[in-house]
Amino acid sequence: MSLIAYFRSLAARFLHRARTELDLEDELQSHIELHAEKLERSGMTRPEALRRARIEFGSAERFKEECRETIAGNWIDNLLQDLRFSFRTLRKSPGFFAVAVITLALGIGATVAAFSVVNAVLLRPFAFKDPQTLLWIYSQRPDNARTNFSLPEYCDYRDENTSFEALAAVASYNPSFADEGAPERVQGVRMSANAFTLLGVQPLLGRTLMVEDDRNGARPVVLISYGLWSRRYAKNADAIGRSVNLNGEMRDIVGVLPANFALPNLDSDIVVPLQPESDPRRSARNSVNFLRMVGRLKPNVSARQAHAELDSIRQNLHRQFPDAYTGKVGLTIVPLTEEIVANINAVLVTIFSAAGAVLLIGCINLAGLSLSRAGARQRELAVRTALGATRNQLRRLLLTESFILAMIGGALGLAVEFWGQGALLHFVPTDLPRIETFSTDWSVFAFAIALILLATFLCGLAPAWLLSRSDLREALISGARGSVGGRLQSRLRSWLVSGQIALALVLLANAGLLFRSFVRLNSEQPGFDASDVRTVRLSLPQVGYSDRNTIVQFYARLQSRAAQIPRIKSNALVSILPLATKSISFVHFTRPDLPPAKPEDTPSTNYRIVTPDYFQSMGIPLLEGRYFREDDDGDRAPVGIVSSVLAKNHFPDRSPIGQRILVDDNDGDPRPIEIVGIVGAVKQTNLERPAKPDIYLPLRQTHKDGVPWLRNSAYWVVKTSPDANGIEPMLRDAIRSVDDNVAIGPVRPMSEVLASALAARRFSLLLIGSFAGAALFLAAAGLYAVISYGIQQRTREIGVRLALGAPRTNIFGMLIKQGLSMLVAGLAAGFLVALLLANLVASQMYGVSPRDPFSFALVSFLLLIISLCASAIAARRAIVIDPVVALRYE
Amino acid sequence: MSNEAELLPGTLDLLILKSVSLGPLHGYAVLSRIEQISGSALFIEQGALYPALFRLVRQGLLKTEWGKSENNRRAKFYELTARGRKRLREETEGWNRLAKAIATALAARPQQA
Repeated sequence: MSLIAYFRSLAARFLHRARTELDLEDELQSHIELHAEKLERSGMTRPEALRRARIEFGSAERFKEECRETIAGNWIDNLLQDLRFSFRTLRKSPGFFAVAVITLALGIGATVAAFSVVNAVLLRPFAFKDPQTLLWIYSQRPDNARTNFSLPEYCDYRDENTSFEALAAVASYNPSFADEGAPERVQGVRMSANAFTLLGVQPLLGRTLMVEDDRNGARPVVLISYGLWSRRYAKNADAIGRSVNLNGEMRDIVGVLPANFALPNLDSDIVVPLQPESDPRRSARNSVNFLRMVGRLKPNVSARQAHAELDSIRQNLHRQFPDAYTGKVGLTIVPLTEEIVANINAVLVTIFSAAGAVLLIGCINLAGLSLSRAGARQRELAVRTALGATRNQLRRLLLTESFILAMIGGALGLAVEFWGQGALLHFVPTDLPRIETFSTDWSVFAFAIALILLATFLCGLAPAWLLSRSDLREALISGARGSVGGRLQSRLRSWLVSGQIALALVLLANAGLLFRSFVRLNSEQPGFDASDVRTVRLSLPQVGYSDRNTIVQFYARLQSRAAQIPRIKSNALVSILPLATKSISFVHFTRPDLPPAKPEDTPSTNYRIVTPDYFQSMGIPLLEGRYFREDDDGDRAPVGIVSSVLAKNHFPDRSPIGQRILVDDNDGDPRPIEIVGIVGAVKQTNLERPAKPDIYLPLRQTHKDGVPWLRNSAYWVVKTSPDANGIEPMLRDAIRSVDDNVAIGPVRPMSEVLASALAARRFSLLLIGSFAGAALFLAAAGLYAVISYGIQQRTREIGVRLALGAPRTNIFGMLIKQGLSMLVAGLAAGFLVALLLANLVASQMYGVSPRDPFSFALVSFLLLIISLCASAIAARRAIVIDPVVALRYE
Repeated sequence: MSNEAELLPGTLDLLILKSVSLGPLHGYAVLSRIEQISGSALFIEQGALYPALFRLVRQGLLKTEWGKSENNRRAKFYELTARGRKRLREETEGWNRLAKAIATALAARPQQA
């Protein structure tokens, strides 16, 4: 088509609309006149000729409309007209409008919110280049748990493998960090200097580590995290170049890491070079295992091949140094991406599916509503058709309406999501990986828009489809009786409602199971009493605390300070607080009275160093024997206290009191420890798993190899009286008054430590719970809408029945029964799906079977009650019908 | 509804183009011309002419000008553009080819079978 003609035509439409319209009128009129004149000439009277001319011309209005349609830009006019018209009809039924918009807002809002979380955690690119070729490598203990590598081991793997482009080592490093301000304990890592090239991480400011930083005698440097940079330097660029004191060693800040830099299971407030070659442990085969490794696969090498190669290196080492391998029987190799999101993955997938289900319910709801309306409007649509509207035009109209609904609902949903995000962030557990990068971004918007279009499509489809199936002429004839398209439509609507109920049941069942798990977990005894316990993490300076006695003295002084604070009941030091950190500490031990086990079968136990009052302060009960005393010191034979789990597992034959075990807690030989007491089991690392064996040793008998470890990190545990609000500054002052150079972490109530162990669960319970609530609401609204529509359709019939004397309760019952059959079908289907999905959610359950009959019964009952209420409210309208009015209806 | 079915689809356009090929005509005259040149053998619902005329203008095959009709009324005259003339030629050839092919086909004697 000619472009000029098109634009001329477009101009005629929009610039000279009135003239174009007049011209059209003139032109057709003149045609009729001319024809009439011709007819007159053949002998007709003037009025007769005009009448005849008009008849022969045909419907002028129709042809005018057809002419207008040929003028360019017609679609714009059509669109505007459809929009205007849709708004008008929607305004006429505000109830429908409100329900539809709220439905969509809930569905879209929930989905986008869930998507933001999933997006932040799973989909957002990592700070690493090509994360899929990065592998995280641990040593494997006989019981399959992960352990670390020693330095010489790392160097061997690094130098001998051919599968990796590079292999870096990472160790946890939690020094005290001091500059002009107060010293602070930071949690960071030492990394071999090749790590950053390997990971492909670019610094936010300054530089990352270079190979030179690992050389002997290199200038000591440190990288700081984005968090530390904001916290301590207010994001000031002059942080670069500053000197800071890490455990008494001066280092220059040379770089700031990007905000989304994170390592799995390790905090990285600071990064310092590992300097493996100058490390005293470089050739000590039997030394501490403190390294984990990360490697980047060469192209065309699979993770499996790399695993096989590293394992053959390991077997060689094992043959060469059998002593060093008693506790290591293999390798655990995990893709880095999986490692970062592993724990949370299943939870997020559940959340996402739940949100999707809510949106789906919303769409079904809307389709059902539109369907009901389409049924009710069939007569109106039939009239429009009779007046010349084509089916396509009507279909377009219905789609336009859905589109308007979806747009408004979507905008509202996004608003809800934005507003709710703050609330959501508040509940996000801090240990959700990489959550600091959580925000709504363009991909979320794109997703929302895709959803809106999908919703339009789904919701517009049903009525449009129905329209094409029904016979409009019939609608016109029998429309008054409201029985048109009846069978097909009502069957479809019932299916939709049943589907909604089924989906809602699945969600509710999941929420119910999560809730039961949460309640179980919450009431689970961790083995200690968290009430009125405050905890502080301490890190003693490198200088001045080189042996056991200095630490003992520090604690003695701290204790005498604490004695002056009135509300402190008791206090103690412990090397690692239960449930507090990601760090693990365990030792192997043997019973000398039993034949030695195979190296890989040597039992291990959690290992804690405590002061005597630890058990009273934490409320850990003494079951047998005695607590530690102040005179369990270096002059006496070493004693230990074990937990009931250790006693039960390893002394099934006799009481362990008075027995000696050999504890491998130093770089030399295992030393004998006499067991003097048995205390209750404590869940040290995970509330959700059964307690493991524990062994406690007194601070005054700490082996000298344990000193640096204890100096690096210990917790002060303080049991107060219940009215101890505001005691925190006093605790900090007490520590400072003993030694100003101690790095002090935040004071945390033990109850908070306990709660944060449940934070992830609380978060998903909250999300799934709200989704389930939304689903319940939507399903009930859907049921209500369908029943009310049924009543509206059958008003006349109900009127006849009433007029003939049917009791109102019968009619009420009839309507309820109709709702009940949909409900039962939906519940049955929901049950089936929930049972089929049970295995998928099993990993998130605690102490509850994923097919737990109680939860299922409860949520079905809830759904049943709510739905019956919805039906009853809807059906009530039927029994207040006045038969006289009803018979005149329509 | 309409009796366009009595015309083959697309033929109305061709007839309109043909009728204005000799000079500008207003709507009613186009209709009269078609009746005249087709020997009144073709029936066209009168109003249906106008959407077709509008369509041809929109396609740039016809141009319009307001003028006076023979009875001194204001009337819109339709005239072939260069593109329209070209289209008429092509369509005429196409139509003749088709008509000839169909005539040949219909004249063919049944094969022995």
